[in-house]
Amino acid sequence: MNEYVTAAYGVILFALLLYVVVVGLRSARLAREAELLARLVEREEAERDGETDLAAR
Amino acid sequence: MRPVWSRQLRALLLKDLRLELRTRDTIVAMVLFSVVAMMIFQFAVGSSGDDLTDVAGGILWATLALTAVLGVGRSWVPEREQRVLDGILVAPIPRLVLLVSKVGAIYAYLLVVEIIAVPLAALFFIRHGQAGDLLLVAGVCLLANLGIAVLGSLLACLALFARARELLLPVLFLPSLLPVVIAAAGATHAVAGGTNDLAEYRGYLLFLGVYAVIFGLVAYATYDHVFDD
Amino acid sequence: MSSTTDTRPARRLTVTGLVTAALLLTAVYGVFFGAPEDADQGIIQKIFYFHVAIAMVALLAFLVAAIEGIRYLRERDPRHDEIGSICVGIGLAFSILVVITGSIWAKASWGTWWVWTDPRLVTFVIVLLLYAAYFVLRSSADGERQARYSAIYSVAAFASVPLSFYSVRVARSFVHPVVFNQQGANMPDSMLWWFVVGQIAMIGVFLTILQLELIQRRADRALRRVKARLEAAA
Repeated sequence: MNEYVTAAYGVILFALLLYVVVVGLRSARLAREAELLARLVEREEAERDGETDLAAR
Repeated sequence: MRPVWSRQLRALLLKDLRLELRTRDTIVAMVLFSVVAMMIFQFAVGSSGDDLTDVAGGILWATLALTAVLGVGRSWVPEREQRVLDGILVAPIPRLVLLVSKVGAIYAYLLVVEIIAVPLAALFFIRHGQAGDLLLVAGVCLLANLGIAVLGSLLACLALFARARELLLPVLFLPSLLPVVIAAAGATHAVAGGTNDLAEYRGYLLFLGVYAVIFGLVAYATYDHVFDD
Repeated sequence: MSSTTDTRPARRLTVTGLVTAALLLTAVYGVFFGAPEDADQGIIQKIFYFHVAIAMVALLAFLVAAIEGIRYLRERDPRHDEIGSICVGIGLAFSILVVITGSIWAKASWGTWWVWTDPRLVTFVIVLLLYAAYFVLRSSADGERQARYSAIYSVAAFASVPLSFYSVRVARSFVHPVVFNQQGANMPDSMLWWFVVGQIAMIGVFLTILQLELIQRRADRALRRVKARLEAAA
C-alpha cells in the first residue's frame, strides 16, 4: 500500500517541479529577449554617437 | 393590446420558423442525423442481437445531444450569412427578445426531431414497451429541451465568429450537456421498457428543471455582453 | 510612473511563497508523522489529505475565475481577464492532479484504476473537459472579444460544475440508495487539524503561482512594449 501513497505524493511533487521548469524556461526566454533588446539599444546609441561625431567634425 | 416585446418575439420567432419551413435544411438534416446516429449505436453495441432495452434511453439521449449540437450550430446562421444580425442589433429590439426567439426556434427543432426519434428508438431498441411510456418520455423531452435550447443559444453565439466554428461549438457545448444527458437518459430509462419507477422519473425531471432554471439565469445575466460589438 | 519601480508584487510573492513553503513542509510532516493512521483504510487514506485539498483549491480557482469574469463584464478592465485566465489555468492543472491522485486512490481502495460511480471523480473529469474548452474558446478569438467571451464562458462553466456533480450523484443514488459517507464530516480532531493545514498550504500554492504568473506576464508585456518601440524607431 505504501507504493500508492508514495506514487500520489510523488505525482504532486513532480507537478510542482514541472512548473518550476516551465517558469525557468519562460524566465530564460525573457532574459534572452531583454538581452537582445539591450544590444539593439546599445548598437543604435553607438551609431548615433558615431553620426554626431561625424557631424561635429 | 399585447406589449411590444411580445409582438417582436413573435415576429422574430415566426421569421426563423418560416425560413426553416421554406428550406427545411436544418430540420431534415437533424432528423436524418438522429436516425443514423441511433443506427450507429445499434451496430456498435447491439450487433449480436442483444436486448438493448436497458440502454435505449441512453442511446436516445446520446443521439439527441449530438443532434442538438448540430442544430444549435445552425440556429444563428441565417443572421450571420445574410448579415442580418447587424440590422437586428441596430433595430430597437431588446437583445433578450432576440435570444428568446433563438431559444424558441431551437426548442421547436428539437421537438420535431424527438417526435420522430423517440418512437423510432422505441421501435429499434425496446422489446416489451407500452405505448403510454411514450407520453412520459415526451415529458422528459419537453423539459430537457429547455435547458439544451437555452445553453445552446448562448454558446452558439460565442462560437459564431470563430474560424473553426463547427468544431468549437461541440467542444464548448457537449461538456456542459453531460448533466442533461445523465438526467434525461436516467429519466427515460426509469419509464421505458415496461418498468415504471415514477419516483426516479420525478427526481430526474426535477433535476432537468433546475438545470434549465440555472442556465436560464446565466443566459439572462450574460446575454447582453455577447452582442456588445 | 511608479509602476516601473513598484516592488510590491515581488515582495508579496516572497511573503506568500515563503509562508506557503513553510506550510507545505509542516503539512507533509504532519500527514505522515502527526496524523493517526485511519482505522478502515490504513495508510492509503493519507492520499486524501492532499487530494481533497487540491480539489478544493481547483474549485476555488474556478470560482475566482467566474467572479473575475463577472467583474470584467462590468468594468471591462483587462486585468480581470488576465487573472481569470490564469486562475482557469491553475484550476485545470490542479484538476488533472485531482484525477490522477483520485485514480491512484481508487486503485489502492478498490483495485481498479477508474470508477464511474464516484461523483467527485467523475465531476472532475467533466471539469477537465469544460475548462479545456475555455482555452479552445480563447484561442478562437482575439483582443476584446477574447476577453468578453472568456468571461461569459467562465461563468457558464462554473454553473456546470455543481450541476455535473449532482447529476452523477442523483443517478447513483437511484442505483445505490445508501447515502455516501463524506470522509471529512467524521474525522477525529487529530486528523482534521492536519487536513486544515494542508488545505491552507494548497491555497498558498494557488496564490503563489497566481502572483508568479502575473509578474511574468507583466515582464513579458513590458518587453513587448520596448520591442515595439524599437521596431517603430528603426
